[in-house]
Amino acid sequence: MKSISLFVERESFVHGIDPITKLYYILFAIIIPIILPSFTISAICLGTSIILLIFAKVMRKTLPVYSFVFFVLITVVIIQGLFKPGNETVLLQLGPVAMYKEGLQFALTIVFRVTNIVSAFMILVLTTKPSDLVEALVRKGMSPRIGYVIVSVFQIIPEMMTTMSTIMDAQRSRGMETEGKLLVRIKAFIPLLGPVVLGSLINTKERAMALEVRGFNSRNPKTYLNEEKTYPNSRFIQAVMLVLTVCAVAWRMFL
Amino acid sequence: MKKIVVDHLKYKYPLGEELALQDISFQIEEGEFIGIIGKNSSGKSTLCQALVGLVPHFYKGAYGGKVIVDGLEVKTHTIAEISLKVGMVFQNPFTQVTGSKMTVYEEIAFGLENIGLPREEMRRRIHEVLKLMKIEHVKDRSPFDLSGGQMQRMAIASIIAMKPDVLVLDEPTSQLDPAGSEEVFQAIQDLSGQGITVIMAEHKMEKVAQYCNRVLLLHEGKLVDFAAPEKIFSRNDLETYGVAAPVYTRVCKALGMKKQGCDSYPVTLKDAELALRGSLG
Ligand SMILES: Nc1ncnc2c1ncn2[C@@H]1O[C@H](COP(=O)(O)OP(=O)(O)O)[C@@H](O)[C@H]1O
Ligand SMILES: [Mg+2]
Repeated sequence: MKSISLFVERESFVHGIDPITKLYYILFAIIIPIILPSFTISAICLGTSIILLIFAKVMRKTLPVYSFVFFVLITVVIIQGLFKPGNETVLLQLGPVAMYKEGLQFALTIVFRVTNIVSAFMILVLTTKPSDLVEALVRKGMSPRIGYVIVSVFQIIPEMMTTMSTIMDAQRSRGMETEGKLLVRIKAFIPLLGPVVLGSLINTKERAMALEVRGFNSRNPKTYLNEEKTYPNSRFIQAVMLVLTVCAVAWRMFL
Repeated sequence: MKKIVVDHLKYKYPLGEELALQDISFQIEEGEFIGIIGKNSSGKSTLCQALVGLVPHFYKGAYGGKVIVDGLEVKTHTIAEISLKVGMVFQNPFTQVTGSKMTVYEEIAFGLENIGLPREEMRRRIHEVLKLMKIEHVKDRSPFDLSGGQMQRMAIASIIAMKPDVLVLDEPTSQLDPAGSEEVFQAIQDLSGQGITVIMAEHKMEKVAQYCNRVLLLHEGKLVDFAAPEKIFSRNDLETYGVAAPVYTRVCKALGMKKQGCDSYPVTLKDAELALRGSLG
Protein backbone atom coordinates (compact mmCIF):
# COMPACT_ATOMS: atom_id res chain seq x y z
CA MET A 1 0.00 0.00 0.00
CA LYS A 2 1.38 3.36 -1.05
CA SER A 3 1.68 5.80 1.76
CA ILE A 4 3.61 8.90 2.62
CA SER A 5 3.60 8.12 6.29
CA LEU A 6 6.91 7.10 7.83
CA PHE A 7 5.26 4.43 9.94
CA VAL A 8 7.18 1.15 10.02
CA GLU A 9 5.16 -1.95 10.75
CA ARG A 10 7.10 -4.03 13.30
CA GLU A 11 6.43 -6.21 16.26
CA SER A 12 7.76 -4.48 19.33
CA PHE A 13 6.61 -3.30 22.71
CA VAL A 14 7.11 0.29 21.57
CA HIS A 15 4.59 -0.25 18.77
CA GLY A 16 2.19 -1.54 21.40
CA ILE A 17 2.23 1.62 23.50
CA ASP A 18 -0.76 3.82 22.94
CA PRO A 19 -0.37 6.95 20.77
CA ILE A 20 -1.47 9.30 23.51
CA THR A 21 1.28 8.04 25.83
CA LYS A 22 3.79 8.64 23.06
CA LEU A 23 2.50 12.19 22.75
CA TYR A 24 3.02 12.63 26.49
CA TYR A 25 6.50 11.22 26.07
CA ILE A 26 7.34 13.98 23.57
CA LEU A 27 6.16 16.55 26.08
CA PHE A 28 8.18 14.81 28.80
CA ALA A 29 11.33 14.75 26.67
CA ILE A 30 10.95 18.47 26.02
CA ILE A 31 10.28 19.71 29.54
CA ILE A 32 12.63 17.57 31.61
CA PRO A 33 15.81 19.13 30.12
CA ILE A 34 14.20 22.54 30.60
CA ILE A 35 13.52 21.88 34.27
CA LEU A 36 16.94 20.33 34.81
CA PRO A 37 19.29 21.95 32.32
CA SER A 38 22.32 19.74 32.88
CA PHE A 39 24.29 17.71 30.37
CA THR A 40 23.79 14.48 32.24
CA ILE A 41 20.01 14.80 32.27
CA SER A 42 19.85 15.67 28.55
CA ALA A 43 22.12 12.76 27.77
CA ILE A 44 19.97 10.38 29.85
CA CYS A 45 16.80 11.55 28.03
CA LEU A 46 18.43 11.17 24.64
CA GLY A 47 19.80 7.78 25.61
CA THR A 48 16.33 6.61 26.67
CA SER A 49 14.81 7.68 23.33
CA ILE A 50 17.54 5.96 21.37
CA ILE A 51 17.17 2.76 23.36
CA LEU A 52 13.41 2.85 22.66
CA LEU A 53 14.06 3.38 18.94
CA ILE A 54 16.42 0.40 18.96
CA PHE A 55 13.86 -1.78 20.73
CA ALA A 56 11.29 -0.68 18.14
CA LYS A 57 13.66 -1.94 15.41
CA VAL A 58 13.34 1.28 13.47
CA MET A 59 16.89 2.59 13.91
CA ARG A 60 17.62 2.38 10.19
CA LYS A 61 14.72 4.65 9.34
CA THR A 62 16.02 7.25 11.77
CA LEU A 63 19.39 7.60 10.07
CA PRO A 64 18.30 9.94 7.25
CA VAL A 65 16.51 12.13 9.78
CA TYR A 66 19.47 12.20 12.14
CA SER A 67 21.86 12.98 9.26
CA PHE A 68 19.72 15.92 8.25
CA VAL A 69 19.50 17.18 11.81
CA PHE A 70 23.25 16.86 12.36
CA PHE A 71 23.93 18.65 9.12
CA VAL A 72 21.94 21.60 10.40
CA LEU A 73 23.40 21.41 13.90
CA ILE A 74 27.01 21.27 12.82
CA THR A 75 26.69 24.81 11.53
CA VAL A 76 25.35 25.85 14.93
CA VAL A 77 28.35 24.24 16.62
CA ILE A 78 30.81 25.98 14.33
CA ILE A 79 29.21 29.40 14.57
CA GLN A 80 28.78 29.27 18.35
CA GLY A 81 32.27 27.80 18.84
CA LEU A 82 33.88 30.56 16.84
CA PHE A 83 31.78 33.64 17.50
CA LYS A 84 29.64 33.33 20.63
CA PRO A 85 29.91 36.57 22.67
CA GLY A 86 31.62 35.64 25.93
CA ASN A 87 33.97 33.15 24.33
CA GLU A 88 37.16 33.18 26.44
CA THR A 89 38.85 29.82 26.82
CA VAL A 90 40.51 28.75 23.60
CA LEU A 91 40.13 25.04 23.06
CA LEU A 92 41.62 24.64 19.63
CA GLN A 93 43.72 26.97 17.54
CA LEU A 94 43.98 26.51 13.76
CA GLY A 95 46.04 29.37 12.39
CA PRO A 96 43.98 32.54 12.88
CA VAL A 97 40.82 30.58 13.76
CA ALA A 98 40.07 29.71 17.37
CA MET A 99 37.42 27.40 18.81
CA TYR A 100 36.19 28.44 22.26
CA LYS A 101 35.04 26.24 25.11
CA GLU A 102 32.06 28.40 26.18
CA GLY A 103 30.61 28.52 22.69
CA LEU A 104 31.05 24.78 22.21
CA GLN A 105 29.40 24.00 25.50
CA PHE A 106 26.44 26.19 24.66
CA ALA A 107 26.20 24.63 21.18
CA LEU A 108 26.30 21.15 22.67
CA THR A 109 23.35 21.94 24.91
CA ILE A 110 21.39 22.97 21.86
CA VAL A 111 22.47 19.86 19.96
CA PHE A 112 21.30 17.63 22.81
CA ARG A 113 17.98 19.43 23.16
CA VAL A 114 17.17 19.30 19.46
CA THR A 115 18.23 15.68 18.98
CA ASN A 116 16.28 14.82 22.04
CA ILE A 117 13.06 16.35 20.72
CA VAL A 118 13.59 14.90 17.25
CA SER A 119 14.11 11.44 18.74
CA ALA A 120 10.97 11.64 20.82
CA PHE A 121 8.99 12.68 17.74
CA MET A 122 10.46 9.82 15.77
CA ILE A 123 9.29 7.33 18.37
CA LEU A 124 5.76 8.59 17.72
CA VAL A 125 5.98 8.91 13.95
CA LEU A 126 7.86 5.72 13.16
CA THR A 127 5.97 3.39 15.46
CA THR A 128 2.40 4.70 15.24
CA LYS A 129 -0.05 4.25 12.39
CA PRO A 130 -1.31 7.77 11.57
CA SER A 131 -4.89 6.53 11.59
CA ASP A 132 -4.43 5.02 15.09
CA LEU A 133 -3.09 8.31 16.38
CA VAL A 134 -5.95 10.29 14.89
CA GLU A 135 -8.56 7.82 16.07
CA ALA A 136 -7.13 8.01 19.58
CA LEU A 137 -7.29 11.82 19.44
CA VAL A 138 -10.84 11.86 18.06
CA ARG A 139 -11.93 9.56 20.88
CA LYS A 140 -10.32 12.03 23.27
CA GLY A 141 -12.51 14.75 21.80
CA MET A 142 -10.70 16.12 18.77
CA SER A 143 -13.06 17.19 15.98
CA PRO A 144 -13.67 14.29 13.55
CA ARG A 145 -13.41 16.77 10.67
CA ILE A 146 -9.87 17.73 11.57
CA GLY A 147 -9.12 14.07 12.12
CA TYR A 148 -10.48 13.23 8.68
CA VAL A 149 -8.37 15.89 7.00
CA ILE A 150 -5.19 14.65 8.67
CA VAL A 151 -5.76 11.00 7.84
CA SER A 152 -6.96 11.55 4.30
CA VAL A 153 -3.94 13.66 3.44
CA PHE A 154 -1.81 10.59 4.12
CA GLN A 155 -3.76 8.61 1.54
CA ILE A 156 -4.75 11.17 -1.03
CA ILE A 157 -1.34 12.71 -1.64
CA PRO A 158 0.13 9.38 -2.77
CA GLU A 159 -2.87 9.06 -5.07
CA MET A 160 -2.07 12.45 -6.57
CA MET A 161 1.51 11.35 -7.08
CA THR A 162 0.29 8.25 -8.90
CA THR A 163 -1.85 10.43 -11.19
CA MET A 164 1.16 12.61 -11.81
CA SER A 165 3.38 9.70 -12.80
CA THR A 166 0.65 8.26 -15.03
CA ILE A 167 0.45 11.52 -16.95
CA MET A 168 4.26 11.73 -17.04
CA ASP A 169 4.40 8.24 -18.54
CA ALA A 170 1.83 9.19 -21.13
CA GLN A 171 3.82 12.26 -22.07
CA ARG A 172 7.06 10.34 -22.26
CA SER A 173 5.46 7.81 -24.56
CA ARG A 174 4.54 10.69 -26.81
CA GLY A 175 8.16 11.71 -26.96
CA MET A 176 8.29 14.43 -24.36
CA GLU A 177 11.52 14.60 -22.41
CA THR A 178 10.84 14.21 -18.73
CA GLU A 179 14.25 13.24 -17.43
CA GLY A 180 17.68 14.73 -17.33
CA LYS A 181 18.59 18.30 -16.51
CA LEU A 182 16.63 20.18 -13.92
CA LEU A 183 15.30 22.63 -16.49
CA VAL A 184 14.02 19.79 -18.66
CA ARG A 185 12.30 18.26 -15.67
CA ILE A 186 10.69 21.51 -14.69
CA LYS A 187 9.48 22.06 -18.23
CA ALA A 188 7.93 18.61 -18.22
CA PHE A 189 6.37 19.22 -14.83
CA ILE A 190 4.60 22.52 -15.46
CA PRO A 191 1.97 21.32 -17.94
CA LEU A 192 0.99 18.68 -15.38
CA LEU A 193 0.05 21.18 -12.75
CA GLY A 194 -3.06 22.25 -14.66
CA PRO A 195 -4.74 18.85 -14.97
CA VAL A 196 -3.52 17.51 -11.64
CA VAL A 197 -4.46 20.56 -9.60
CA LEU A 198 -7.73 21.12 -11.44
CA GLY A 199 -8.45 17.41 -11.26
CA SER A 200 -7.90 17.30 -7.55
CA LEU A 201 -10.04 20.40 -7.01
CA ILE A 202 -12.92 18.74 -8.83
CA ASN A 203 -12.19 15.56 -6.91
CA THR A 204 -12.25 17.48 -3.67
CA LYS A 205 -15.68 18.87 -4.48
CA GLU A 206 -17.04 15.49 -5.45
CA ARG A 207 -15.46 13.83 -2.43
CA ALA A 208 -17.00 16.45 -0.18
CA MET A 209 -20.42 15.62 -1.62
CA ALA A 210 -19.84 11.91 -1.17
CA LEU A 211 -18.89 12.52 2.46
CA GLU A 212 -22.02 14.59 3.02
CA VAL A 213 -24.36 11.85 1.91
CA ARG A 214 -22.55 9.42 4.17
CA GLY A 215 -23.53 11.45 7.17
CA PHE A 216 -20.20 13.13 7.77
CA ASN A 217 -21.96 16.17 9.21
CA SER A 218 -24.47 14.14 11.14
CA ARG A 219 -25.14 15.35 14.67
CA ASN A 220 -25.63 11.84 15.97
CA PRO A 221 -22.90 10.83 18.38
CA LYS A 222 -20.33 8.89 16.39
CA THR A 223 -19.59 5.23 16.99
CA TYR A 224 -16.49 3.25 16.02
CA LEU A 225 -16.14 0.03 14.07
CA ASN A 226 -12.96 -0.92 15.88
CA GLU A 227 -13.04 -1.39 19.58
CA GLU A 228 -10.97 1.12 21.43
CA LYS A 229 -7.57 -0.47 21.71
CA THR A 230 -6.65 -1.01 25.30
CA TYR A 231 -3.07 -0.52 26.23
CA PRO A 232 -2.49 -2.13 29.61
CA ASN A 233 0.74 -0.28 30.36
CA SER A 234 -0.23 3.21 29.30
CA ARG A 235 -1.56 4.32 32.71
CA PHE A 236 1.56 3.01 34.40
CA ILE A 237 3.93 4.67 31.92
CA GLN A 238 2.06 7.95 32.12
CA ALA A 239 2.16 7.78 35.91
CA VAL A 240 5.91 7.14 35.91
CA MET A 241 6.49 10.11 33.64
CA LEU A 242 4.35 12.30 35.86
CA VAL A 243 6.21 11.21 39.00
CA LEU A 244 9.57 11.80 37.33
CA THR A 245 8.47 15.28 36.26
CA VAL A 246 7.34 16.11 39.79
CA CYS A 247 10.67 14.82 41.16
CA ALA A 248 12.53 16.94 38.63
CA VAL A 249 10.65 20.05 39.71
CA ALA A 250 11.29 19.23 43.38
CA TRP A 251 14.98 18.63 42.72
CA ARG A 252 15.22 21.96 40.95
CA MET A 253 13.47 23.85 43.73
CA PHE A 254 15.01 22.27 46.83
CA LEU A 255 18.50 21.13 45.88
CA MET B 1 -48.10 6.05 -0.55
CA LYS B 2 -46.24 8.78 -2.41
CA LYS B 3 -42.58 8.39 -1.50
CA ILE B 4 -41.30 11.30 -3.55
CA VAL B 5 -43.15 14.39 -4.66
CA VAL B 6 -41.40 16.90 -6.90
CA ASP B 7 -43.46 19.99 -7.49
CA HIS B 8 -42.50 22.68 -10.03
CA LEU B 9 -38.80 22.28 -9.27
CA LYS B 10 -36.58 24.90 -10.89
CA TYR B 11 -32.89 25.18 -10.30
CA LYS B 12 -29.95 27.22 -11.60
CA TYR B 13 -26.32 26.56 -10.61
CA PRO B 14 -24.53 29.61 -9.18
CA LEU B 15 -22.30 29.82 -12.23
CA GLY B 16 -24.80 28.42 -14.69
CA GLU B 17 -26.31 30.55 -17.40
CA GLU B 18 -29.53 28.66 -17.83
CA LEU B 19 -31.81 26.72 -15.56
CA ALA B 20 -30.42 23.22 -15.15
CA LEU B 21 -33.89 22.05 -14.11
CA GLN B 22 -36.91 23.76 -15.58
CA ASP B 23 -40.22 23.39 -13.84
CA ILE B 24 -40.12 19.67 -13.12
CA SER B 25 -43.04 17.90 -11.46
CA PHE B 26 -43.58 14.18 -10.87
CA GLN B 27 -44.42 11.70 -8.14
CA ILE B 28 -42.97 8.33 -7.23
CA GLU B 29 -44.67 5.55 -5.25
CA GLU B 30 -42.95 3.57 -2.53
CA GLY B 31 -41.03 0.57 -3.89
CA GLU B 32 -40.89 1.73 -7.50
CA PHE B 33 -37.73 1.29 -9.58
CA ILE B 34 -37.38 4.44 -11.68
CA GLY B 35 -34.95 5.07 -14.54
CA ILE B 36 -33.85 8.57 -15.51
CA ILE B 37 -32.68 8.89 -19.10
CA GLY B 38 -31.63 11.72 -21.39
CA LYS B 39 -28.58 12.76 -23.34
CA ASN B 40 -25.49 14.28 -21.70
CA SER B 41 -26.10 17.52 -19.81
CA SER B 42 -29.84 17.00 -19.84
CA GLY B 43 -29.93 17.37 -16.06
CA LYS B 44 -29.94 13.76 -14.84
CA SER B 45 -27.22 14.24 -12.23
CA THR B 46 -28.72 17.54 -11.10
CA LEU B 47 -32.11 15.91 -10.59
CA CYS B 48 -30.54 13.04 -8.64
CA GLN B 49 -28.72 15.50 -6.41
CA ALA B 50 -31.92 17.47 -5.85
CA LEU B 51 -33.42 14.35 -4.24
CA VAL B 52 -30.69 14.13 -1.55
CA GLY B 53 -30.46 17.87 -0.96
CA LEU B 54 -27.01 18.45 -2.49
CA VAL B 55 -29.08 20.70 -4.75
CA PRO B 56 -29.48 23.30 -3.31
CA HIS B 57 -27.65 22.87 0.05
CA PHE B 58 -24.22 21.97 -1.28
CA TYR B 59 -24.10 24.16 -4.38
CA LYS B 60 -26.44 27.00 -3.29
CA GLY B 61 -27.79 28.68 -6.47
CA ALA B 62 -31.35 29.68 -7.36
CA TYR B 63 -34.00 27.19 -6.30
CA GLY B 64 -37.74 27.18 -6.76
CA GLY B 65 -40.54 24.69 -6.18
CA LYS B 66 -40.57 21.77 -3.77
CA VAL B 67 -39.03 18.36 -3.34
CA ILE B 68 -40.59 16.18 -0.65
CA VAL B 69 -39.02 12.83 0.15
CA ASP B 70 -40.89 10.59 2.55
CA GLY B 71 -42.67 13.61 4.00
CA LEU B 72 -39.44 15.55 4.47
CA GLU B 73 -39.08 18.80 2.56
CA VAL B 74 -35.55 18.84 1.15
CA LYS B 75 -35.19 22.61 1.20
CA THR B 76 -35.77 22.91 4.93
CA HIS B 77 -33.66 19.94 6.09
CA THR B 78 -29.91 19.39 6.20
CA ILE B 79 -28.16 16.88 3.98
CA ALA B 80 -27.27 14.88 7.11
CA GLU B 81 -30.96 14.58 8.02
CA ILE B 82 -31.98 13.68 4.48
CA SER B 83 -29.16 11.17 4.12
CA LEU B 84 -30.76 9.03 6.81
CA LYS B 85 -33.65 8.43 4.38
CA VAL B 86 -32.06 8.86 0.97
CA GLY B 87 -28.76 7.30 -0.07
CA MET B 88 -26.90 8.45 -3.13
CA VAL B 89 -24.25 6.70 -5.22
CA PHE B 90 -22.28 8.95 -7.56
CA GLN B 91 -20.96 8.41 -11.04
CA ASN B 92 -17.24 8.48 -10.28
CA PRO B 93 -16.35 5.67 -7.87
CA PHE B 94 -12.90 7.07 -7.19
CA THR B 95 -14.08 10.29 -5.57
CA GLN B 96 -16.44 8.37 -3.32
CA VAL B 97 -13.55 6.71 -1.53
CA THR B 98 -13.25 8.64 1.72
CA GLY B 99 -9.47 8.36 1.81
CA SER B 100 -9.46 7.95 5.56
CA LYS B 101 -9.87 4.19 5.79
CA MET B 102 -7.29 1.49 5.27
CA THR B 103 -9.53 -1.36 4.12
CA VAL B 104 -12.69 -1.90 2.11
CA TYR B 105 -14.33 -3.24 5.27
CA GLU B 106 -13.56 -0.07 7.23
CA GLU B 107 -14.49 2.09 4.25
CA ILE B 108 -18.01 0.68 4.25
CA ALA B 109 -18.18 1.35 8.00
CA PHE B 110 -17.51 5.08 7.50
CA GLY B 111 -21.16 6.07 7.01
CA LEU B 112 -22.32 3.70 9.73
CA GLU B 113 -19.93 5.23 12.26
CA ASN B 114 -21.20 8.68 11.36
CA ILE B 115 -24.81 7.78 11.97
CA GLY B 116 -23.83 6.17 15.26
CA LEU B 117 -24.74 2.50 14.76
CA PRO B 118 -23.73 0.02 17.44
CA ARG B 119 -20.70 -2.10 16.52
CA GLU B 120 -22.54 -5.42 16.23
CA GLU B 121 -25.12 -3.96 13.87
CA MET B 122 -22.34 -2.43 11.79
CA ARG B 123 -20.57 -5.74 11.39
CA ARG B 124 -23.80 -7.50 10.48
CA ARG B 125 -24.66 -4.94 7.81
CA ILE B 126 -21.16 -4.80 6.33
CA HIS B 127 -21.11 -8.57 6.04
CA GLU B 128 -24.50 -8.46 4.31
CA VAL B 129 -23.59 -5.80 1.72
CA LEU B 130 -20.18 -7.32 0.98
CA LYS B 131 -22.05 -10.47 0.03
CA LEU B 132 -24.79 -8.65 -1.88
CA MET B 133 -22.28 -6.71 -3.98
CA LYS B 134 -19.95 -9.73 -4.31
CA ILE B 135 -16.83 -8.05 -2.95
CA GLU B 136 -16.18 -10.24 0.09
CA HIS B 137 -12.86 -11.38 -1.37
CA VAL B 138 -11.43 -7.83 -1.37
CA LYS B 139 -12.65 -6.77 2.06
CA ASP B 140 -9.16 -6.45 3.53
CA ARG B 141 -7.63 -4.59 0.58
CA SER B 142 -6.97 -0.87 0.46
CA PRO B 143 -9.96 0.90 -1.14
CA PHE B 144 -7.62 2.56 -3.63
CA ASP B 145 -6.19 -0.76 -4.82
CA LEU B 146 -9.44 -1.93 -6.40
CA SER B 147 -10.42 -2.03 -10.06
CA GLY B 148 -12.95 0.56 -11.25
CA GLY B 149 -15.71 -2.03 -11.17
CA GLN B 150 -14.86 -3.21 -7.66
CA MET B 151 -14.70 0.39 -6.48
CA GLN B 152 -18.14 0.97 -7.92
CA ARG B 153 -19.48 -2.06 -6.10
CA MET B 154 -17.88 -0.80 -2.90
CA ALA B 155 -19.47 2.63 -3.38
CA ILE B 156 -22.89 1.05 -3.77
CA ALA B 157 -22.27 -1.26 -0.80
CA SER B 158 -21.27 1.71 1.37
CA ILE B 159 -24.59 3.40 0.73
CA ILE B 160 -26.77 0.31 0.90
CA ALA B 161 -25.27 -0.50 4.29
CA MET B 162 -26.82 2.71 5.60
CA LYS B 163 -30.22 1.17 4.75
CA PRO B 164 -31.87 4.18 3.15
CA ASP B 165 -35.57 4.04 2.22
CA VAL B 166 -34.77 5.66 -1.07
CA LEU B 167 -31.71 4.79 -3.14
CA VAL B 168 -30.53 7.25 -5.79
CA LEU B 169 -27.87 6.01 -8.21
CA ASP B 170 -26.17 8.18 -10.83
CA GLU B 171 -24.83 5.94 -13.61
CA PRO B 172 -23.60 3.39 -11.08
CA THR B 173 -22.39 0.81 -13.58
CA SER B 174 -20.23 2.95 -15.88
CA GLN B 175 -17.05 1.09 -14.87
CA LEU B 176 -18.52 -2.39 -14.92
CA ASP B 177 -18.38 -4.92 -17.72
CA PRO B 178 -21.69 -6.33 -19.04
CA ALA B 179 -21.64 -9.29 -16.64
CA GLY B 180 -20.81 -7.00 -13.72
CA SER B 181 -23.57 -4.55 -14.65
CA GLU B 182 -26.05 -7.39 -14.80
CA GLU B 183 -25.05 -8.56 -11.31
CA VAL B 184 -25.37 -5.05 -9.91
CA PHE B 185 -28.78 -4.54 -11.53
CA GLN B 186 -29.93 -7.86 -10.09
CA ALA B 187 -28.77 -6.84 -6.62
CA ILE B 188 -30.54 -3.51 -6.87
CA GLN B 189 -33.67 -5.20 -8.11
CA ASP B 190 -33.55 -7.42 -5.00
CA LEU B 191 -33.49 -4.31 -2.85
CA SER B 192 -36.33 -2.84 -4.83
CA GLY B 193 -38.23 -6.06 -4.19
CA GLN B 194 -37.72 -5.51 -0.45
CA GLY B 195 -39.59 -2.21 -0.74
CA ILE B 196 -36.73 0.25 -1.24
CA THR B 197 -37.56 2.97 -3.73
CA VAL B 198 -34.86 3.13 -6.40
CA ILE B 199 -34.08 6.01 -8.75
CA MET B 200 -31.30 5.48 -11.25
CA ALA B 201 -29.83 7.65 -13.99
CA GLU B 202 -28.53 5.28 -16.62
CA HIS B 203 -27.34 5.13 -20.23
CA LYS B 204 -27.77 1.41 -20.81
CA MET B 205 -31.28 1.41 -22.25
CA GLU B 206 -31.63 -2.36 -22.44
CA LYS B 207 -31.10 -2.48 -18.67
CA VAL B 208 -33.46 0.42 -18.02
CA ALA B 209 -36.12 -1.28 -20.12
CA GLN B 210 -35.63 -4.60 -18.35
CA TYR B 211 -35.53 -3.44 -14.74
CA CYS B 212 -37.40 -0.16 -14.37
CA ASN B 213 -41.10 0.16 -13.61
CA ARG B 214 -41.18 3.63 -15.06
CA VAL B 215 -38.80 5.83 -17.01
CA LEU B 216 -38.34 9.56 -16.71
CA LEU B 217 -37.10 11.23 -19.90
CA LEU B 218 -35.24 14.51 -19.48
CA HIS B 219 -34.22 16.95 -22.19
CA GLU B 220 -32.36 20.20 -21.57
CA GLY B 221 -33.58 20.38 -18.01
CA LYS B 222 -37.21 19.69 -18.86
CA LEU B 223 -39.26 16.63 -18.14
CA VAL B 224 -40.43 15.28 -21.48
CA ASP B 225 -42.25 12.18 -20.36
CA PHE B 226 -42.58 9.90 -17.36
CA ALA B 227 -44.16 6.57 -18.15
CA ALA B 228 -43.69 2.82 -18.50
CA PRO B 229 -40.60 1.78 -20.49
CA GLU B 230 -42.75 0.44 -23.38
CA LYS B 231 -44.42 3.78 -23.73
CA ILE B 232 -41.23 5.85 -23.52
CA PHE B 233 -39.24 3.71 -25.92
CA SER B 234 -42.10 3.49 -28.41
CA ARG B 235 -42.08 7.26 -28.88
CA ASN B 236 -41.37 8.30 -32.43
CA ASP B 237 -39.51 11.45 -31.41
CA LEU B 238 -36.99 9.65 -29.19
CA GLU B 239 -34.04 10.53 -31.40
CA THR B 240 -34.69 14.25 -31.12
CA TYR B 241 -33.89 13.85 -27.42
CA GLY B 242 -30.62 12.10 -28.15
CA VAL B 243 -31.79 8.76 -26.78
CA ALA B 244 -31.73 5.44 -28.62
CA ALA B 245 -34.34 2.85 -27.72
CA PRO B 246 -33.14 -0.64 -26.70
CA VAL B 247 -31.98 -2.67 -29.65
CA TYR B 248 -34.96 -5.05 -29.34
CA THR B 249 -37.37 -2.14 -29.65
CA ARG B 250 -35.58 -0.79 -32.69
CA VAL B 251 -35.72 -4.18 -34.43
CA CYS B 252 -39.41 -4.65 -33.66
CA LYS B 253 -40.15 -1.11 -34.76
CA ALA B 254 -38.39 -1.73 -38.06
CA LEU B 255 -40.48 -4.87 -38.49
CA GLY B 256 -43.63 -3.06 -37.38
CA MET B 257 -44.23 -5.61 -34.64
CA LYS B 258 -46.07 -4.32 -31.58
CA LYS B 259 -46.33 -6.01 -28.23
CA GLN B 260 -49.27 -8.37 -28.18
CA GLY B 261 -52.48 -6.74 -27.10
CA CYS B 262 -51.17 -3.21 -26.76
CA ASP B 263 -50.08 -0.22 -28.74
CA SER B 264 -46.38 -0.16 -27.91
CA TYR B 265 -43.29 -1.99 -29.04
CA PRO B 266 -41.52 -4.62 -26.95
CA VAL B 267 -38.56 -3.29 -24.95
CA THR B 268 -36.98 -6.45 -23.59
CA LEU B 269 -35.58 -9.54 -25.25
CA LYS B 270 -38.34 -11.66 -23.77
CA ASP B 271 -41.17 -9.47 -25.05
CA ALA B 272 -39.53 -9.13 -28.45
CA GLU B 273 -39.27 -12.89 -28.67
CA LEU B 274 -42.93 -13.29 -27.69
CA ALA B 275 -44.03 -10.73 -30.26
CA LEU B 276 -41.94 -12.34 -32.98
CA ARG B 277 -43.13 -15.87 -32.19
CA GLY B 278 -46.71 -14.59 -32.05
CA SER B 279 -46.46 -13.05 -35.49
CA LEU B 280 -44.85 -16.13 -36.95
CA GLY B 281 -47.87 -18.12 -35.91
N1 LIG C 1 -21.46 22.59 -10.86
C1 LIG C 1 -22.08 23.11 -11.94
N2 LIG C 1 -22.06 24.44 -12.15
C2 LIG C 1 -22.70 24.99 -13.23
N3 LIG C 1 -23.39 24.27 -14.13
C3 LIG C 1 -23.46 22.94 -13.98
C4 LIG C 1 -22.79 22.28 -12.88
N4 LIG C 1 -23.02 20.95 -12.98
C5 LIG C 1 -23.78 20.79 -14.08
N5 LIG C 1 -24.04 21.97 -14.69
C6 LIG C 1 -24.85 22.18 -15.89
O1 LIG C 1 -26.16 21.73 -15.64
C7 LIG C 1 -26.69 21.03 -16.77
C8 LIG C 1 -27.11 19.62 -16.36
O2 LIG C 1 -25.96 18.88 -16.03
P1 LIG C 1 -26.02 17.41 -15.41
O3 LIG C 1 -27.08 17.38 -14.40
O4 LIG C 1 -24.66 17.05 -14.99
O5 LIG C 1 -26.46 16.54 -16.69
P2 LIG C 1 -26.32 14.98 -16.96
O6 LIG C 1 -26.05 14.30 -15.68
O7 LIG C 1 -27.62 14.61 -17.57
O8 LIG C 1 -25.20 14.81 -17.94
C9 LIG C 1 -25.61 21.06 -17.84
O9 LIG C 1 -25.90 22.09 -18.74
C10 LIG C 1 -24.35 21.38 -17.06
O10 LIG C 1 -23.46 22.11 -17.86
MG1 LIG D 1 -24.42 13.07 -15.09
